[in-house]
Amino acid sequence: MSGTELTENELIEERIDLSRNTCPNREQRANGINVWYGKASDLAKEARSGCLRQRERNFQQSSGCVLNFYLSVRIGTIRDAVAIYHAPVGCSSAALGYRELYRHVPVELGRPANFDLHWMTTNLGERDVVYGAGEKLREAIKEAERRYNPKAIFVLTSCTSGIIGEDIEGTVSQVQPEIKATIVPIHCEGSRSRLVQTGYDAFWHAVLKYLVKKPEKKQKDLVNVASMLSYTWQDRLEIKRLLGKVGLRVNFVPEFASVEQFEQLSEAAVTAPLCPTYTDYLARGLKQEYGIPYFLYPSPMGVAHTDEWLREIGRHTGKEREIEALIKEEHEKWLPKLKAIRQEFENFKGNGEKVEVLGALGQGRLLAQVPYFDELGLKSSAAMCQDFDNLILKDLEKLIAQMGDFDILVNTFQAAEQTHITNQRNPDIAMTCPFQGGAFKRDKGVTRVHALRSDAHPWSAQSGYTGAIAFGNFLLQSLKSHSYQRTMKEKTQSTYKDWWYKQPNSLYYLKAEE
Amino acid sequence: MGISEPLETNNVISGAIEAPRYSCALAGAYSTAVGMFGVVPILHSGAGCGIGQLFGQFYGGGQNAGGPYGGTSTPCSSLVEEHVIFGGEKKLESLIESTVELVNGELFAVISGCVPSLIGDDVGAVIRRYKEKKPEIPIIHVNTSGFAGTSYEGYEYFFDSVIDQLLEEKVPKEKGLVNVFGIVPFQHIFWKGEARTIKTLLEKIGLKANLIVGEFDALENLKKIPAAEYNIILSSWVGHETAKKLEEKFDTPYISFPGVPIGPKQTSEFLRVIGERLDVSIDVIEDLISSEERRAYRFAEYVGDVLLIARPHPYFAVVADSNSAVSITKYLANEMGYLPDIVQITDNPPEEARELINEELTTGLETPAWPEIIYEVDAYRIRENLKDRNFMFLLASSLETFISGPEFNAIHLTVSFPSYDRIILERSYAGFSGGLTLMEDVMSKYAGPL
Ligand code: SF4
Repeated sequence: MSGTELTENELIEERIDLSRNTCPNREQRANGINVWYGKASDLAKEARSGCLRQRERNFQQSSGCVLNFYLSVRIGTIRDAVAIYHAPVGCSSAALGYRELYRHVPVELGRPANFDLHWMTTNLGERDVVYGAGEKLREAIKEAERRYNPKAIFVLTSCTSGIIGEDIEGTVSQVQPEIKATIVPIHCEGSRSRLVQTGYDAFWHAVLKYLVKKPEKKQKDLVNVASMLSYTWQDRLEIKRLLGKVGLRVNFVPEFASVEQFEQLSEAAVTAPLCPTYTDYLARGLKQEYGIPYFLYPSPMGVAHTDEWLREIGRHTGKEREIEALIKEEHEKWLPKLKAIRQEFENFKGNGEKVEVLGALGQGRLLAQVPYFDELGLKSSAAMCQDFDNLILKDLEKLIAQMGDFDILVNTFQAAEQTHITNQRNPDIAMTCPFQGGAFKRDKGVTRVHALRSDAHPWSAQSGYTGAIAFGNFLLQSLKSHSYQRTMKEKTQSTYKDWWYKQPNSLYYLKAEE
Repeated sequence: MGISEPLETNNVISGAIEAPRYSCALAGAYSTAVGMFGVVPILHSGAGCGIGQLFGQFYGGGQNAGGPYGGTSTPCSSLVEEHVIFGGEKKLESLIESTVELVNGELFAVISGCVPSLIGDDVGAVIRRYKEKKPEIPIIHVNTSGFAGTSYEGYEYFFDSVIDQLLEEKVPKEKGLVNVFGIVPFQHIFWKGEARTIKTLLEKIGLKANLIVGEFDALENLKKIPAAEYNIILSSWVGHETAKKLEEKFDTPYISFPGVPIGPKQTSEFLRVIGERLDVSIDVIEDLISSEERRAYRFAEYVGDVLLIARPHPYFAVVADSNSAVSITKYLANEMGYLPDIVQITDNPPEEARELINEELTTGLETPAWPEIIYEVDAYRIRENLKDRNFMFLLASSLETFISGPEFNAIHLTVSFPSYDRIILERSYAGFSGGLTLMEDVMSKYAGPL
């Protein structure tokens, strides 16, 4: 490893170029990778010196692409819009739950009573891949307008539309004059990038380029918060509650937002993160184009980070004093509860040892979870994250300095690797994304990293103070029964052969460097 | 009666569609592979195709996890830009090697998606080379893509590859052995329970039924296919290509039914026809029918009060694939006294099948009220077609769960794909007592103190 260190400018392509059709991939923008196992400090060092490189695997499992990880399920939740997938019929099947999403949230908890979500597929077929399908896309856009008179029409591209060379911008600019809705093309061809997070950037690029309007007025009390599927309705309520107490309003985008909420992003006082690398492109774009300040660290997970998160917002909105009063008031209420949870964890093993947890998911969650677990009195000597890029490098370095070193496995839903590391490290609680293959079959605790649908049950909260307590209790509960995972381990065949668990290397199938 | 004009004259729909109730051909082949226990699917595709189908097929098909080989457990070549340029064959080669080394399984099924078909990967050659090297490893290639058709066609592609690549020689016929086709895992949300019920039924009349889907020992079951005396197809169109091919290659005759039989009437008819074709003694068939019927109808008496007092002879609407639509409509009309108002068929069956389906849904009903029959795949038009009608029950998919009450003032039950709001493990409506289960589900939606 060389001793040279890259400057922030070299680490991240900071400028956002909205004259282009789309963003650069995360690989180019921030040297993103999705394979690594080792000490966090080594990862940081390699990244800092610029020698961190993507490696190939000889064994890989289906893990999500730029379109089909996030966008295909969630863009259709934007109200008064239509999502059109310019793709063969399979690429959008994940969106089939569209009429059920958010319906479980009670109207009394603030979801609008009347809303209706829509998506279509251009249903590309054999003929289209030979002759092109611009006409079909045009027709679909017109049909969407006839049916729903939406404010925006999102056009999502696919591997197929990309490889056959569809001229999306050409079609869009041709048809836009006939269409009242703003057409928003999102370049999310699955084959463009290995990193699912490229999908976030591609989406925000399109939002910044087509949807965000020039500010008509400044809304000094408005805070932009980019909130994704893994944050629940309860998280939103908690954030609203906290900011509402100091007279601030929240603009939650993109999921389940109205098109108007996107248009107003340029009028807010500040952009605040739930997940830093999810929010990054939007936050930078709004700053660059409209001067909206932003911060990306910390996220409001755990008490200490929620304090800091609120203070940051206070600084940008001139509410420092009110925020300090709020923090004080909240601490009085919640700290005793946190202490009780902490005590229960401390006493759990009965021998003074801490309860060990293996968690994280996105790289943003990694930064948030590790300190939060520490607050709870849990030990997390290792964590997994889906991918890693320089966007979080500074904060990762800070985290290591603060918390000490730990191990990181970087992979995007590689179930065999995750099963291996879970088995090998054998933590008391293994947190799994709900669809993480067989990693859940074990003798000890298992629970989810986060909810997927916008769960409205208070039990599902993870953000802010109520979330810190709810999630702590949730984790405690997970320690109390192992019967499902244990039985499944005993009674069902493992996907992988025995030798896999007996050899020591989670990245056994990492391809030798040429 | 009004049978509307079919959308298309053949069964390729060329236009854009809102939320069709099926996925792509890769998805169908993949679901089929995951639906027989022992097959390891290997996706040669982009990294998102498998996860997409986890949400779009497995969760949609009765809110099921992917199991040991589906979803994120599925090996995938995860093709990106550089493979688009340089080809993905090498990547696939090493993926096959490592999968066979690492994963417990009986048969490996490489399923190609859009990317390899667009870039012209010669996957067949990769597989041939592998077979030469490791002839003892059972492996097939399902040469499909996303744009080659729907989930239903994907099911046929899967068996097409099995027949071409795994079943080479003719084998002696095994007396009493029958294969059953036409139930598509996940698309037919009750596939596991249906397979089991049909198997038991056929066993009760002395046949050995090879259901393949929903069964363990997938490789052995697939290899048995040529030995069957008969192929039974439980669909007016799905599985027919497979049956024709098996007839050509192995001289196995086939017989088809419009769907999986629900309740005593359909089940008795099913058994009588099978009995006649397969030379089962009439006594065996009739004995079984009378004892099963006796029980089923004795139990059906128990719903008499709630049926006749709370919601007697209501109109109902169905939105489902053709297999389910026919069997469910016939059961409600012929055994529960419900009146069919409209039936919308969502799997786009080919023209030949539509004739039979129309007949089943008209002259096949014991009621003078015939439903309007509409072939429609577009979720917007399906919803429009339901407006301003008489139905009080809507047996459809979870796409209708939340609109049924407010928009149509109807009681809703999910009986077809997608079914995100009902977890379906073993439940099905097949067979003699399946009708009872269907009644339980329908009536539990409104049961209460009388
Ligand atoms: S349509 Fe093609 S790219 Fe999309 S999920 Fe199906 S095979 Fe994959």
